Order: sequence, then structure tokens, then C-alpha cells
Amino acid sequence: MTLSNFVAAFLTLCIFSFLYKENPFYRFGEHLLVGVSMGYAIPLIYDTVFIPYVYRPIFLDHNYIIIIPAVLGFLYVFRYSKNLSWLARYPIVFGMGIVGMSVPMSMHSQVLVQMKTAMLPLDNINTILIFIGTVTILLYFFFSKAHKGAYGKVTNIGVWFMMIGFGASFGYTVMARISLLIGRIQFLLGDFLGLIK
Amino acid sequence: MEKRKMTLVQRMQQLDRRYIYIVIAVAIIIPLLIPFNTKTYVTEPTANIYKKIDSFAGREDKAILMSFNHDASTMPELFPMEVSILRHCFERDVKVFTLCFMPQAAPLVDYAINTAKEGYDVTSGVDYLNFGYRPFALQLPIILGMGEDISNALETDSEGRKIENMEIMENIRNYDDMNLVIDFSGSASIQTWIIYARAKFGANIAAGITAVMVADNYPYLQTGQLVGMLRGLKGAAEYEKLVDIFAAYEDEDYPNGRPYSQEILKEINVPITADKIIYEVTNEDGSVDKISTNAEMKYEYKKARIGMNAQSVAHVMIIVFIIVGNIGYFLTRKNKKLG
Repeated sequence: MTLSNFVAAFLTLCIFSFLYKENPFYRFGEHLLVGVSMGYAIPLIYDTVFIPYVYRPIFLDHNYIIIIPAVLGFLYVFRYSKNLSWLARYPIVFGMGIVGMSVPMSMHSQVLVQMKTAMLPLDNINTILIFIGTVTILLYFFFSKAHKGAYGKVTNIGVWFMMIGFGASFGYTVMARISLLIGRIQFLLGDFLGLIK
Repeated sequence: MEKRKMTLVQRMQQLDRRYIYIVIAVAIIIPLLIPFNTKTYVTEPTANIYKKIDSFAGREDKAILMSFNHDASTMPELFPMEVSILRHCFERDVKVFTLCFMPQAAPLVDYAINTAKEGYDVTSGVDYLNFGYRPFALQLPIILGMGEDISNALETDSEGRKIENMEIMENIRNYDDMNLVIDFSGSASIQTWIIYARAKFGANIAAGITAVMVADNYPYLQTGQLVGMLRGLKGAAEYEKLVDIFAAYEDEDYPNGRPYSQEILKEINVPITADKIIYEVTNEDGSVDKISTNAEMKYEYKKARIGMNAQSVAHVMIIVFIIVGNIGYFLTRKNKKLG
């Protein structure tokens, strides 16, 4: 049993103790996680971002054009000032510009390709189900007509399709959460106690 | 009699949730302590990733990129996938690159490589290369830049070495050569690769994702924008099995693993309770032949499959709880109606 495994096992049990009830051990583990994450990220980012992309180009390579984006990025700091917080909007503007750049390609992958593959010949059960599901769900979200009578029955089919989708999604969520628990128990039983070979 | 039944039902309805936690914990602990052999059925999205990587076996002009976009919290699901794919690459002589855009992922990349390469004669810069951590702000320029020239977009590896003249970079220039990107994530980060690397450069993209994200990403699989998808712990278990059956297989005809075959996959099972890889071949008459090998089956190579045993038992328990809970609910409602 190594010291690191002992610390990890202790902190795992601190977090698990929340399952019984809220307690100081749980809060200690939770706060330590936040602190360690930040403590790890700050020097790493300083070393892998500030030094190679700001310090080295400006001070060692004398590439002074970098000062402009560096100053622009520094304006984010004013987010914490009541009077000068408006300055932080300028770097955000550039961020929004990048979002704009993604629009045409997002349209391609998330709309056009999806539409194309939804328009298939109805020659097997899968494509028929996709067709019925797509049409009835789209009709369900057509709110300018009351969901009554025959129209209401059709939109109700869309609700069933959505419920099945939500059920599948929830089932996967349960699977994911159990997987995380399995991972921790594998660590406790295997790496920490050495009971799994 | 009726009254006593309802009292029991009411008691069940008000059961302290901590008893359920204990039952779930026991349902997970026992299968982990006493592993048993179950058949792992390999699904098409997993097999497609395997086949794509395997098509690069022994080729100098092809490589894959593994993008680690997760922290330690999703390791139980994603780490076995990463180790299995790295192992596949090392077994079948496929060039593999690794990269991450999250600070917390940087040590996980090293951990995965060090775990997988144990027992293999592989060298950094020749068989594999870790590009290391790159700031998230540079994700877009790097993804787009790799479409033109990987050496220009990344310049150095995780150890600060210039990548341009490295042996592994020979014949590898952009997505035409590094023709498969696998993103491991518990978030929607795969979309960035689909939107930029796939839509702009036609790169093949695959996903190794946590089960939570599976439903969100199915549309990309259905539309062919994803080559394949490893779905949670189940996907990792499937890939472990494929590596054992094909990549780790050795005989006179296939000294470095055999190619993928649907027929072989149907016939063969690999028990996880053994220390060495054993192939259980089911014959047409139903009899089973055992082929023993000297290949070691380390715990890391079967971790997801052992985990899936526990997963199956836990799922059965959850289904039982849902059924019992519903019976209790309907009986209570009926009792209320009866007054």
C-alpha cells in the first residue's frame, strides 16, 4: 500500500460518507478537490500558456505584435472591478467572433447532414420508425395549433417517442453512475486493499 | 390479512434510502471479489473503431490520434478504453499520437501510455508520441492547423522536443495520414472535432464517451459522421475482448495478431478468470475447445469486463427496486381508493 493510495482511499471514503449524511469529512474532501484542482491548473497554465505564448515571444523573440492580444486578454481581469468591468467585454467580443466562425460548419454537421440522413427510402422498419418519430415530434413542437382531436393523437405519438428517448438517456445515465461507483470500489478493493488480483 | 400486507408495502415505500445504497454496494463488491465469466457481445460501433485502427496495422503512412478530454472523475469508464486502444496499437504496430486540451488530462495521458506499454518494446517518437497538454484556447487553431501540417500546428511534444524530424512523423503530415481521431470525453467535446476536422478536412472521427453522453451522440453515429463509438464501460469491455481475440493472438501464420473476422468473433470467448489468455472455441456441435496461450492477461487488460459483471448485477438490483417500488406504489394507491 503506497502513501498515495492511502490518501486517495481516505478521500474517497470522505466523499462516500455523504451517503450517510452531510459531515465535516465530506466537506473537507470537497474543498480539497477544488483547491488542488486550481493549485494544479494555475502553475501548469502559467508554464504552458503564459511562458510560451506571451513571455517568450515578447521578451525573448521581440515579437511585439503579441502585446496586442496579450493586453486584450488581460482586460478579462477587469471583470472583478465594478467601475471598469465594461473593459472585459472587448475580449468577449473576439470570443463571439470565433463562435460566428463555427456557424456554417455547425449548420453542415448538425443540421444539413442530419436532415439528409433522415430523408431515407422507407424500405425497412428502422427508417419507417425514424420517419414517424421525426414527423410526430416536429408536429408536437408546433404550438400554434391546439393538440386536440386527430392532431392531438398524432402529437401524442411524438410524446411516446420522446419518452422512449428520455428513458434510453436515463438508462445510460444510471449505467454511467454505477460505472463510476464500480471504478471507486475497484480502486478500494484492488489498489488499496489488494483483494482483487 | 389485507391490512398486514399493506403495512409491509407502506414500510417498503418509506424505506430509508441508505439500505438501498448498502444493497447496491454489496451487489457491486461481490462480483468484483468473485469474478465470473460472462459473454461480452461486441456491437457494431465498437467493432468499426477496431477495424479502422486495424486497417492501419504495420503502415508507415497512417496513424491515429487519441484526444484525452476528461479528468479523473470519468476514468472508470474511459481509462480502460484508452489502455485497450493503446494496447491494440502497440500489438499491431499502429502509429499513435496523444493530445489533451485539459490540464487535468495531462497526467492521465502519461498514466495510460505507461500502463499500456508495459511488456511492449515501444519507444516514444518512434511508435507513439505524446503531444501533451495544449491550452483550451488553442484548441481551434490546433484542430484546423493539423489539417494542413501537424508539425507546424503543434511544433513540440510533451517533453519540449521538436516533432518535425522525429521518426514517427515520417509520412505523417495531416488528417490524410493521421486518418482517425478518437476523442475520449465525458462532455460534448466530440462536436468540435466533427464540426472542424470532419466537416472541413474529412477526417475520420470516433468517440470514446461516458454512458451519459451516448444518447446525445447517437445522431452523429447514425449520420455516419462518427466512424464508431465506444459507449461507457460496456464499450471498453467490448474493445478489451477484441484486442484479446485478434490483436493479442499469435501463431505461425499470424505472429503479430490476426485480422478481424466476424466468424471468429462469434465462435470464440475469452474467460476473464484466468491469468493467461485462453481461447474458448465453440464448435458447431456445441462442444467447447480450449486453446491455452502463454500471453499474460493482466488485471488492466480485463478491468472493464470485470466491472461489467458488477454492472450487470447492479442493473438487475435496480430493475428489482423499480418493480418493487411500483408494486408498492400501486398497492398504496389501491388501498387509498378502498379507504
